[in-house]
Amino acid sequence: MLYFNYFKLNRSARFIGIVFFIISCQQSEQVDFSTQIKPIINSKCISCHGGVKKNAGFSFLFEKEALGTTNEGSPAIIPGDAKNSRVIQRLHETDLELRMPYEKPALSKEEIELFTRWIDQGAQWGTHWAYIPPLKTRLPEVDSKFKQDNFLLTPIDYFVAARMEDINLFPSRQAESDVLARRAAFDITGLPPDQRLFDLYTTEKISYEHYLDSLLAQTSFGEKWASWWLDLARYSDTKGYEADRGRSIWKYRDWVIKALNKDLRFDEFTIEQLAGDLLPNPSFDQLLATAFHRNTMNNDEGGTSDEEYRTAAVIDRVNTTFDVFQSTTMSCVQCHDHPYDPFRQKEYYQLLSFFNNTRDEDLTDESPNLRSYSEENNQKVQSILSWISKYGDQQTHNFYRDFFQFLEPKYQAHNSTSLNPDLAYVSGVTLSMRNKGQAVYRNVNTKGNQNMYFKYSKTTHNTDLIFRKNSPKGEVIGSIRLNDPKDPQFANPKNQYAKLKIKAIDGFFDLFIETKNPSLKTKRENGYRYDDLAASLHWFSFVPELPAKNKRGFSSVEAAMNTVLNNPEHLTPIMVENKDFMKRKTQLFDRGSWLNKKEEVQPSVPTTLNQWDEEWETNRLGLAKWLVNEENPLTSRTLVNRVWYQIFGKGLVLTLEDLGTQSEPPTHPALLDWLAADFVSTKEWSLKSFIKMVLMSATYKQSSVIEENKYGADPENLYYARGNKLRLDAEEIRDQALYVSNLLSTKKYGPGVMPPQPEGIWEHAYLGNLWKESKGEDRYRRAIYTYLKRTSPYPSLISFDAGSREVCLVRRTPSNTPLQALVTLNDPVFLEAALSLASLYAHLPVHEAVKKMYRKAVYKEIDGEVLELLETLYSNAFQDFDQVPEKLQNFFNQKTSVDRKIASLAIIANTIMNLDEFLTHG
Amino acid sequence: MQARLNSRRHFLKDCTLGLGGIALGSLLNSCSFDQKTVYDYSTRRALNPMAPLAPPLSPKVKSVIYLHMVGAPSQLELFDYKPELAKLHNKPCPESLIEGKEFAFIEGVPNMLGPQATFSKEGESGNWVSNHLPHFKNVVDEVSFLKAVHTDQFNHGPAQLLMFTGSARFGRPSLGSWITYGLGSENNNLPGFVVLTSGGTPDAGKSLWGNGFLPSIYQGVHCRSKGDPVLYLKDPKGVSRDLKRKIIQSINEINYKEYQKFQDPEVLTRISQYEMAYRMQVSVPEVMNINDEPEYIKEMYGVKPGKESLANNCLLARKMVEKGVRFVQLYDWGWDSHGASESEALSKGFLNKCRDMDRPVSALLLDLKQRGLLEETLVVWGGEFGRTPMWENRAGIQNSLIGRDHQGEAFTMWMAGGGVKKGYVHGETDEIGFRGINGRVSVHDVQATILHLLGFDHEQFTFDFQGRPFRLTDVEGRVIHEILA
Repeated sequence: MLYFNYFKLNRSARFIGIVFFIISCQQSEQVDFSTQIKPIINSKCISCHGGVKKNAGFSFLFEKEALGTTNEGSPAIIPGDAKNSRVIQRLHETDLELRMPYEKPALSKEEIELFTRWIDQGAQWGTHWAYIPPLKTRLPEVDSKFKQDNFLLTPIDYFVAARMEDINLFPSRQAESDVLARRAAFDITGLPPDQRLFDLYTTEKISYEHYLDSLLAQTSFGEKWASWWLDLARYSDTKGYEADRGRSIWKYRDWVIKALNKDLRFDEFTIEQLAGDLLPNPSFDQLLATAFHRNTMNNDEGGTSDEEYRTAAVIDRVNTTFDVFQSTTMSCVQCHDHPYDPFRQKEYYQLLSFFNNTRDEDLTDESPNLRSYSEENNQKVQSILSWISKYGDQQTHNFYRDFFQFLEPKYQAHNSTSLNPDLAYVSGVTLSMRNKGQAVYRNVNTKGNQNMYFKYSKTTHNTDLIFRKNSPKGEVIGSIRLNDPKDPQFANPKNQYAKLKIKAIDGFFDLFIETKNPSLKTKRENGYRYDDLAASLHWFSFVPELPAKNKRGFSSVEAAMNTVLNNPEHLTPIMVENKDFMKRKTQLFDRGSWLNKKEEVQPSVPTTLNQWDEEWETNRLGLAKWLVNEENPLTSRTLVNRVWYQIFGKGLVLTLEDLGTQSEPPTHPALLDWLAADFVSTKEWSLKSFIKMVLMSATYKQSSVIEENKYGADPENLYYARGNKLRLDAEEIRDQALYVSNLLSTKKYGPGVMPPQPEGIWEHAYLGNLWKESKGEDRYRRAIYTYLKRTSPYPSLISFDAGSREVCLVRRTPSNTPLQALVTLNDPVFLEAALSLASLYAHLPVHEAVKKMYRKAVYKEIDGEVLELLETLYSNAFQDFDQVPEKLQNFFNQKTSVDRKIASLAIIANTIMNLDEFLTHG
Repeated sequence: MQARLNSRRHFLKDCTLGLGGIALGSLLNSCSFDQKTVYDYSTRRALNPMAPLAPPLSPKVKSVIYLHMVGAPSQLELFDYKPELAKLHNKPCPESLIEGKEFAFIEGVPNMLGPQATFSKEGESGNWVSNHLPHFKNVVDEVSFLKAVHTDQFNHGPAQLLMFTGSARFGRPSLGSWITYGLGSENNNLPGFVVLTSGGTPDAGKSLWGNGFLPSIYQGVHCRSKGDPVLYLKDPKGVSRDLKRKIIQSINEINYKEYQKFQDPEVLTRISQYEMAYRMQVSVPEVMNINDEPEYIKEMYGVKPGKESLANNCLLARKMVEKGVRFVQLYDWGWDSHGASESEALSKGFLNKCRDMDRPVSALLLDLKQRGLLEETLVVWGGEFGRTPMWENRAGIQNSLIGRDHQGEAFTMWMAGGGVKKGYVHGETDEIGFRGINGRVSVHDVQATILHLLGFDHEQFTFDFQGRPFRLTDVEGRVIHEILA
């Protein structure tokens, strides 16, 4: 394993060094379990004595198991008596069959000595730092030279300076103001700075702080940081899996942008996304926020089990929640106790039960969907609701308010069972029936309601749909003639929702459904192709009676109801909780397989983490409150560590995915905790304030020039003694090219757009989905608005390491590849940008034009040698075009031709847009 | 100034003066890619992630050509001869076979469907081959059959993902990505992992050659038969090769100044990647061009230049491994023989697919052999699952055309090449070909075996992601020693 983990090797090796340093300093003192013993256990013992394997009945995972009786009938660790503890005896064994670690190198003398001392001192168990809530410590005292050098600008710098002192490093000088201005603009807005603002700052007309504040106030802030959040939220415009059809969930993307821009407190941001639907009287936006967990994939492939993929989505929600907010790999615990962190398998299913009661069931229509209406229909909704308020009770009002918003609770037809398979067939969303088709829906409950709403499709005239109670010949409790010309609710042939009277039944019963339409001839030889269908039913729902039937105006209320239900303007999948009478129970899955269900479990949180407050609701809302409770040790640490990564290209804990016993120790433990605690207490969960503080730090402002000897002392810059010359993100690279060439559109929000991409990228053998190239300004929108298809994301973004968003992506792995060079050299988007940049300055003498283009692109004055070099390239190109003027036709694959000068300048622009200084944030 | 621009030597001179060992390593990588040793291992890896590496164990092969028949070809019409099944033809399926089992489309009680082919024993090995594969009869002695492969996925997307990423869910790195991550590439002018498709894109799409959580440089490069073989490979109108060279020289020269100022080795990597991009622009179209192959070779494969076909792709695969491409993945779409339409019928579309596959795949084995490449190449053939011995009855009504439903219990794959037994059969199914009765192997076993032949222990070959080590074979897999030579 070591052999292939070269990406990790250096890091680990270094940290072992740090650990030994700590150990050697504390020789005579009390041994600390978490920092001294647990790392040895995790690297040397836990794979055979942990959560997966418990060889010889012995495990180091939990205190109780470690000190408990093993297969040999007595404990292996006797606190206070190392000599007689079998663990220690086994470490000293000379017989290789008995010596531990089995078939692995022996522990070092120092390690055995530590272990021995720990047991002699009483084998005190400890809690890992990541499971203790962070505290703000006092700022460390540091050498006065840091102060003299003006390095101590923010609390961050004290902590960073203190660590630099440890290995005798000294900060780099501050970056030049033009470099810093460009870097900060990218880190806040994902774009190069506005020229006017840039000038104000670089000519010292405004302060750096003022400059940052201006950037933070721009709406491009949300558009940049949304990319980060949408990676975590696995946002995509398609459903994934084989068919990977489109999904309309962009309103959620817009919600994220807006929430970031208004600096919605991160605790509220969390609660609304996880449980907005469970808040009291949730607003449209709070419901919309729950689309966070509807970004799970949905399997439309024929023949797949909806329950299997519903379960897969629920599992993904548990895993994603813990990946996003807790930096904890819960997916390990799906099949067995966690191999090295203190989480038990049962706890996984207790968490899963929080998520197991939403209405979504992997249906093609993705219901439940949040419905938005046209202005006109919205007024209708309001007038119906006020009618109900005026004449009816609160309960009825709330029922209809919800029903208009997301059409729940309803029974989905795919859960019904056909009673005569050649006449009734459940497929996808629908129950399709021919004449005399019969099906049953088990365990329904009218909850005393006397009306049924249902959705149907593909219906011929005059099919009778008949509902019976408890048996195929049971009592008829309701019936309706579909598309009956006499029935006004069928007047509009586009309608798909209709209502009928139904007899209210007490308690649960089996609903039998049948169709009658003798005019239809059943053509059995048609196989599954039903062109002789009597009706296709999607769902049905029992709804309360509208009040004041006899009052004047009622008929228009009823007509309005029919109109609004049939005409939603837009649908976005959201989370809606099951009503009590529809609740699923949650069982533990044996070895993680959803088919092997074992004992039932109740919602609960892992005991290792913060305690549950009895005041909290026992549902997703309670879970969200638990996550953002200040006692939770992981949420704030996770957040500050991830934001830090976005800005510095690495986390304070390098293993961004994992804050736990197997993670790297923080490079700056006190800083991590200080920032995490400060984020909650002082910053009051404000992302913008936190980002601003980081950008105000001297640590951030350092130049990325690597001064002599500094590379060797700290190749990965773990001590922050210099800036990091990070490559821009995929979105930034595209947006920057469009921005500096004045092509970028500032249009915000709305459905995903389809800028030019090569033909044939979206080939799918039989679905025929097409990339319909956007027109006008939609070709030049920011990358965040580019339509993202999971099985085929936008090529240039993928080349620059953006993800395909199938699952939660905590970090992008930056790469540096020849395919990236081909994008920025030859992708038509970048060619068009180069031409456009060239055209801006074509009226100037070449010398001036090159200078201006460079400045416009890179935000600094061109160096004399570079200018010379580019001018020579210009002459070469010019000569080329002069000799072969045909080259100017459709130059750069454009529809028109250009003159020699613009073409030659475009070559220069193309060159500039491939420079390291253009592709990195300086 | 002119002198400087024209002088690559000047650039190199600058490069090799005054820089530490790390930078030197990278520049030698970038300037002359044939250097294979000397420099610190992980540094080399960081600077040139595609540098060729020796695997930890002794490898039997250097490269892999994987032929995947998308949709799942029927083993019962190709290799798994079941005379008993013929006797049950059109008789109702015994309840015991289907009880408690889920199928993609079969409902109720279907009828059995006898083999829709005749079989003969071929070659010295005397292994069974169907009459649909006349050419393959000549190479049957080269391959080891796995007749009882099983999978727990019976829908295309998930089953393909399992086959190529070790997991039925999205997000894991693909087989080819793992291999190029582990071995790098032997050719620095071509991608290390190339994907060629015919008939259409496989159901699970690009994830089948995605890098998952590995660095993106290890993703498969889908060389397309229409348009640029690699995206954005072609220079835009008006830019000659010569001008492009000057552009890249200028970029690299300015970037080198940037390196001198910042001393950041990542800049050097960028310089070498731009050089590689420039070379790829020539070498990729070159390798993708089959027109210049001799006539008898074209004839042998049955290629149709300019068209997208499995025959063309087989020939391209040979050209690529010849040039040192590490992993060539072929996907041929259209093997989903349900009998729901003519193209999906065993009596129609399937026969066309057999014809279009038989000749080039057999030619590929012969051609590799005659060039001495077969001993250092592993060729794998298979689908994502198999097909039922029952006649599909969608919605309980027998399909009007002859076809079989998806079946994960048992299907046939084969391997040929270095380290693999010749003319061998491993595994056996019951008398109707429904289940494996001995020598059952799983998808993870197949993957473990491929890694083994390349010199990897599949249990040790891991990558840390989301806080834990991941491997291709998840927590399973056993090397199929029975077929190793």
